[in-house]
Amino acid sequence: MLRNTPARWGALSQLLHWLIAALIAVQVALGLVGVALPLSMAKLATLARHKSLGITILALVLIRLLWRLSHPAPALPANLKPYERRLARLTHASLYGLLIALPLTGWIMSSARGFPVSWFNLFQLPNLVTRSVPLYHAMIRVHIALAVALGLILALHVAAAIKHHFVLKDDTLRRMLPGTAPARAGAPETIKE
Amino acid sequence: MSPARILRLTIPWLALPTSAIAHAAAPGPVYTLIGAHNTLTYTFTQAGAANHGRFKKFTVRFDPGAKTLTVRIDMRSFDTGDAQRNSILGGRDFFDVARYPQARFTATRLQRTSSGYLATGPLTLRGVTRTVSVPFTWRIVETGGRRVGLLEGSTVLERLDFGVGRGEWRATEWLGNAVTVRFALRMAPAAR
Repeated sequence: MLRNTPARWGALSQLLHWLIAALIAVQVALGLVGVALPLSMAKLATLARHKSLGITILALVLIRLLWRLSHPAPALPANLKPYERRLARLTHASLYGLLIALPLTGWIMSSARGFPVSWFNLFQLPNLVTRSVPLYHAMIRVHIALAVALGLILALHVAAAIKHHFVLKDDTLRRMLPGTAPARAGAPETIKE
Repeated sequence: MSPARILRLTIPWLALPTSAIAHAAAPGPVYTLIGAHNTLTYTFTQAGAANHGRFKKFTVRFDPGAKTLTVRIDMRSFDTGDAQRNSILGGRDFFDVARYPQARFTATRLQRTSSGYLATGPLTLRGVTRTVSVPFTWRIVETGGRRVGLLEGSTVLERLDFGVGRGEWRATEWLGNAVTVRFALRMAPAAR
């Protein structure tokens, strides 16, 4: 099923969720390796791939956000306390925000430094700002701070998924996985398949 | 009469006809650069994106009558707008400006084309000399009662032909081989 239902995420949301998750893992590795490498062809290639992947993630996150805004998300599990509901919404909103802000700050960094962004050598993206060394240095700090924030929020997100699946034994993780989700304790009451 | 004396007496006379011919040909003006807005830039592709640089110091001498064009570039004057990139490109693996501080282009043939000229001749860059052809347009405009020549054009060189990029930098996947060189020059007749 492509669309979301009140009980579980649809195929498109699931695909985008796990695809973006996998790309983030690769992206973090490329970013760390790219920064660590001495200036070399390997560094150019690694950073070029990091930029291309960042633009890809930006596009996928925007698609996912548009899809989510136009197609209601499944209800939060009924067993959540009010503060947990607020925390879940805040966490998810932060993830969308960070996954948009990170590529944008990277794109601004590249533009400010005078190393334009290309998408996998296929086409060159316009520069977002004119060259500015101070802006470049400021953007590095922002980019790193956002990356650290993303790491923390993702840790919270994963911890919550693990808690729901193994401690609370509800369907929160399962409904983001392919296959049908059997009703389990603590699942929303409004299951419609 | 000693042979040396014969030579001393004869040489001025031998030289006379050629200088007389040169004067008789009423040579046209030789143009050199004026003003501070002459540009000599290059563009290459790095990881799919265009990268630009420019040379700040160079001289050009163009004699349309004698059909000669000479360009000398101070390789130490290039600027990419980025300190790190400048130090890399100026270093041994690229321009190696310490050993090769000057690049030269001398047109040995200047052909008229429908839109201007095609200058062909040796370009010496990073110690390597190759024959290149450079098309350009040439317009004379009157500005403030002064005749100013505008010389503009571009050509594509391959950096590896001149050894620009050594070692791992010879690979062209992430650092393109083709380099587009563009120039827009304002020139005025120089005193001979």
